[in-house]
Amino acid sequence: MKRTIYFTIGLVMIVSSAAIARAQALSGEEIMRRSYLARYYPGEDMSAHVIMRLVSEGGQERVREFIMSRRNLKEGGEQRYFLYFHRPPDVRGTAFLVWAYPRRDDDRWLYVPALNLIRRIAASDKYESFVGSDFTYEDVAGREPEEDTHRVLREEKAGGRDAYILESIPKNPGNSDFSRKLSWIDKTTWLPLKEEYYDRRGDLARVFTADELKEIQGFWTMTKRVMKNAQSGHWTEVIFSEVRYNRKLSPELFSERSLRAPPAEFTK
Amino acid sequence: MRAWVLGVAAVLLWPGLASAELSWVHGFLQGESAYRLIQPDQCPQTQRSACQDEFVRGGERFQLELTPRGDWWNFMGKAEVIHDAISGSVDVDLREGYLDVRFPALDLRLGRQIITWGIGDLIFITDVFPKDRVAFISGLPIEYMKKGSDAVNATAHWAGSSLQFVFIPHFEADTVPEAGGRLSFNDPMAAIEARRTDEPSPAIENTEAALRIFGNVLGWDLSLSAYRGFFHTPAAEVEPGPQLRFFYPRLSVYGASAQGAALGGVLSLEAGYYDSRQDQSGLNPAIENSSIRLLTGYQREIIPDLTLSGQYYVQVMDDHAEFLRTLGPGMPRRPLARHVLTLRLTQLLLHQTLKLSLFVLGSPNEGDFYVNPEVKYDVTDAVWVALGINLFGGPLATEFGQFEGNSNLYLMARYAF
Repeated sequence: MKRTIYFTIGLVMIVSSAAIARAQALSGEEIMRRSYLARYYPGEDMSAHVIMRLVSEGGQERVREFIMSRRNLKEGGEQRYFLYFHRPPDVRGTAFLVWAYPRRDDDRWLYVPALNLIRRIAASDKYESFVGSDFTYEDVAGREPEEDTHRVLREEKAGGRDAYILESIPKNPGNSDFSRKLSWIDKTTWLPLKEEYYDRRGDLARVFTADELKEIQGFWTMTKRVMKNAQSGHWTEVIFSEVRYNRKLSPELFSERSLRAPPAEFTK
Repeated sequence: MRAWVLGVAAVLLWPGLASAELSWVHGFLQGESAYRLIQPDQCPQTQRSACQDEFVRGGERFQLELTPRGDWWNFMGKAEVIHDAISGSVDVDLREGYLDVRFPALDLRLGRQIITWGIGDLIFITDVFPKDRVAFISGLPIEYMKKGSDAVNATAHWAGSSLQFVFIPHFEADTVPEAGGRLSFNDPMAAIEARRTDEPSPAIENTEAALRIFGNVLGWDLSLSAYRGFFHTPAAEVEPGPQLRFFYPRLSVYGASAQGAALGGVLSLEAGYYDSRQDQSGLNPAIENSSIRLLTGYQREIIPDLTLSGQYYVQVMDDHAEFLRTLGPGMPRRPLARHVLTLRLTQLLLHQTLKLSLFVLGSPNEGDFYVNPEVKYDVTDAVWVALGINLFGGPLATEFGQFEGNSNLYLMARYAF
C-alpha cells in the first residue's frame, strides 16, 4: 500500500516536473500565438470607448474619440470591427466598418455623413497610419504570428511583471514595416508590456508600451497604451474605457445598416 | 452682416454650450471665396454678371446642427445662414431636417434628407437625387454637391440584404447655372430673355419613387435600383412670344452596381438605363434622349497614405439618328457616345492633417475637361483651410467646356464645433 502511494507520488512528481519543464520551454511561436489571442481575440465580442491623443514633439495635441466594437467569427480567425467617431468635429458621425480576414486583405467601408455616402476603401496597405496616429492598421487589427519567426531571447521583469523577451523577424521582409521586433510578453496575462520596432536600417523606429492593464470580466485588457515614434518624437496615447466583453453583439451591427443608422449607444 | 452677428454669437456662446455638454449641438463657421481665373470673353445680356464679377463666390456661412436622440429615434436639423458678400444678401437654408425611427428590421427616415446612391466619383448614374452644380463649380466643399430631398425613406433589412423605398412628393430640381446668375454657361437661346420654369406640381402622379435592393455577397456590395420621376436638369422649348419655357421631362432609371476588393484595390462597376419617357422616339429635340450609361472604376493605395483611383465612363445615346435629324440650328451636336476618363490622386501627410489631392476629368472624344488640385490642412482639430483650383475647359457646347469662364482659385476655412 505504502509502496503504491510512494509510487503514485513519484509519478505525480515526474509528470508535473515534466509539465513545468514543458512550460519553461514554451517556444517563441507558442508564446506569440498566446499573446496574439490575448491581445486581439479576448471574449467573443467587445466594445469600448476609445480616446486617442496624438501628440507632436512640439506638444501640439489632436484628439480622436470613437466607440469601437469587435466581434470574432472564429478565435484567431475572421473578425469584424465597427467604429463610430465623435471627435474631431469635422469627422463626427463618420463610421468605419472592417471585415478582417486572416491571410487576405480586409474589406473596409467608410460612411461619410455629410454626403450620406458609404465609400469602400482600398485596404491594400496594412502599414498605413490609423487615423493619423502612430499606430498602423496592422497594430490595431493584429499581425498574424505566422508571418514572423519568434525566438525567446531571455526572461526578465518588466514593470514589476515576469516577462518573456521575444525577438521576431519577418519571414518575408517585403511584407512588414519592421526588420526586427522585440516584445516583452507578460507571463501572467500574455499581453505585451513593451515592444520595440526596428526599421530596415536596424534603427529603433517605434516603441510600444502597455501602461495600464486591468482585468475586466476575467479578460486582461490594456486600458492605456502608448506608441512613440522614436525618430520623430511624435507619440499616440490610447485610453480604453467602458470596456465590455461577451455582449452577444448582433452580427447586424457589423453591416451597412449600422454605417448609415448606428445604434443609439454609439451615437450618444 | 446678420450672418456675422450670428456667427460671432455662436463662437461666443460655444464655450457655454460645450461646458453644458450638449453633445447634440454642433456646427461650424466657414469663410469662402473663389476668385475667377478666366474672364469670359463676352457674355450675353442674360449672363452679364459673369463678365462683371471678379469673384464667383465670396462670403461666410454659419451652420447649426441639432441632433437630439433617443434609443429608437433621432432627429437631425441642419440649417445655415449664408452671407453672400458679393451681392450683400443673407439667406437661410434648411439643408437637412429629418426624423429617424429605428424598428427591429426597418429604418424610417422622414423629412428633408440627402440621399446618395451609386459608386461613382463625381459621376452619377443611379444617383438621380438633387445636386447643386453651382456649389460644385464655384468651389464649395464636395458635401455641397448634394441637396436635400423632402422624402419618405424606408429601408427594410433581412438576412443580410436590404430593400429601400424612397418617395419624394415635392420635386426638387438640381441647382444649375442660370440666366441672371454669377456663372457663365452655354446658352444657345441667350437672345430670348423672357423665361419661365414649370416644375412638376406636388401631386400623386408626380411623386418621385425609387427602389433599391442591396446586399453583400462574398465581399461584394451589389445593388439593383429603379427610379421613376423626372430629369433634374431642365429641358427648354421656345413658346410664342418668344418665351423660353424650362421644364423637367419624365424619366425612369434602371441601374445596377457592384463594388468589391480585386487586384489589390477596390473595383467598382455601375450601369444604368435612362428611359426618357417623354421622348422615347428621340424625335423631340428639346428633351434628352434615352441612354445607356456605364462606369467602371478602380482604386488602390500605392504606398501608405497615397491613393490612386481612375474611372472610365461612357454614355451612349439611343436614337442618335433621330437626334441628329431633329437638331435645331445652333444647338450642340452631340456624339453617339460620350467617353469620360477620370483620375484622382490623394496624398496624406503630417499624420494625415495635410491632404494634397488632384482630380482630373476629361472626355477624349468631346474634348472638355475639369481639373481640381487642392491642398487642405487641418490647422487644429477644429480648424481647416483649403486652397485649390477649379479649372474647366474645352468646346463651349460641352458639359465642362461651357464653364471655362467660371474657372476659379478658391480658399475656404472652417471652424467646426
